[in-house]
Amino acid sequence: MKTETAAKASAAIADMENDDLLSAFPEGPRLLGTRCGDCGREMIGTRVVCSSCVSSNVGTIALPTTGTLYSFTRLHVGGEGIRPLGYVDLDNDVRTLADIREGDTPLEPGIRVELGVDGENWFFAREASETKGHHHD
Amino acid sequence: MTENVHVISAAMIPFAKYRTSSYVGLAVPPLIDALRSAGVDKSEVDAVYVGHSYGGMMTGQRICKEIGLGDVPTVNVDNACSSGATAIHEASTAIAQGLIDIAVVIGVEKLTQFGGGALPLSPEDREVKQGIIMPAVYAMRATRYLYETEATAEDLALVSVKARKHGALNPFAQFRKEVTVEEVLASRAVADPLTLLMCCPTGDGAAVVVLASERARKRLGTSGGMRIAASVLHSGHVEEGFRDMTRPEISSRSAQDAYAQAGIEPKDLDMIELHDAFSIAELVYYEAFGLAERGHAADLIRDGKTTFGGSVVVNPSGGLLAKGHPVGASGVAQVAEAFWQLSGQAGDRQVDDARWAMTHVTGGGTAGLDHGACTIHIFEAA
Ligand SMILES: [Zn+2]
Repeated sequence: MKTETAAKASAAIADMENDDLLSAFPEGPRLLGTRCGDCGREMIGTRVVCSSCVSSNVGTIALPTTGTLYSFTRLHVGGEGIRPLGYVDLDNDVRTLADIREGDTPLEPGIRVELGVDGENWFFAREASETKGHHHD
Repeated sequence: MTENVHVISAAMIPFAKYRTSSYVGLAVPPLIDALRSAGVDKSEVDAVYVGHSYGGMMTGQRICKEIGLGDVPTVNVDNACSSGATAIHEASTAIAQGLIDIAVVIGVEKLTQFGGGALPLSPEDREVKQGIIMPAVYAMRATRYLYETEATAEDLALVSVKARKHGALNPFAQFRKEVTVEEVLASRAVADPLTLLMCCPTGDGAAVVVLASERARKRLGTSGGMRIAASVLHSGHVEEGFRDMTRPEISSRSAQDAYAQAGIEPKDLDMIELHDAFSIAELVYYEAFGLAERGHAADLIRDGKTTFGGSVVVNPSGGLLAKGHPVGASGVAQVAEAFWQLSGQAGDRQVDDARWAMTHVTGGGTAGLDHGACTIHIFEAA
């Protein structure tokens, strides 16, 4: 046990200050992530502590723009119209929930997808080079 | 466990929409019935454990004061869908450790207060801010499961057909009408591939069980009922990257621990009440509980192995899909069903010669977790 002469106050995290996942980086708009400087774990969003090794030595990174669609659904409730929603496994093994934009070919698990930005909205859509039935999982 | 713990009585109101009843109005009648049926006076109760998620402050105390049950500790428990079963786990642990002799467990929820639609999740959660709702989570499990295995949308429908068939026999069920595969598939789309009849309904309910030590059971002169052979509670573990949504680690781990505690194998079970909030869940849990090999859960439902006359009757009550799912009440209602089944009081839905029962609830939509909490109990007829 560490002993101090006076108890030190813990500091609250201002995690509600900015909870947008999309941010401007020199290379363009990217999803915000966090990288642990000690164990290397990468995570979605802005964090102040690593969920793996509990280190506070963490920094903001731009997440990869490409990944694999793990699964998806077309949501018919809770809003207007049909909303395709999926889990994307980004190429650095970070999973994110994302709106999925449908193209001419139906979605299926395992397809390669890439980040798209439309004003303030972001989504993932089938990679331009991707062809039907070409699985990467 | 150090001391044997028994369930000595159970009571519940049929799950339904009770728009003119409060949490107190829902829970007081089964509370009185469970105490009377146990032959326990309110002065003999050592502690009260109350599972609920949306009841607000002091829900348990508000209920208990109506019958002048006070002074003893009242513990309010929120663990989403596992709230009621977590309350049973806490009560059972306290009795097993010899701290108390008689505990009352109440599970209660009033979902009609929200006016319908998907369950409200924590607005602080990252994925909730992005628009996730529970039907979407289970739908993504379903999409992936159908992609990886030979199972089809018809198999998802068969789960609902079985649930409704069982619910039709249960006077405590919210839905008592049978449905066909065609009706399930043709019902309104909610989140592909899940249709409305593959989703549990919104409703209200309350269930109460009385737990007692071996010593108290002897003093009361109770016979029958059931012994708690295993009581397991686990929390979800965060995964920042890939997670196999078709293999729910928290439910698998809880089941393994429960089988070990009870000293039995899956094949020993006569009945299971499992968390079929959406029909895909039942298939995935067949595999997590060791009832089916990976990818072969659909064989059980196609071959009628999990209905009356099969090798293990799954959700004889109709499950969450037909009996209903008032979140905090569900875990206690499952144990009430096990109690009635193991003591031969299940009427038209009685499982023949039922000796071993398992109950399972898991829930809470939280980013990065399979589920927030999972509770599994195994019971042996006493
Ligand atoms: Zn780390």
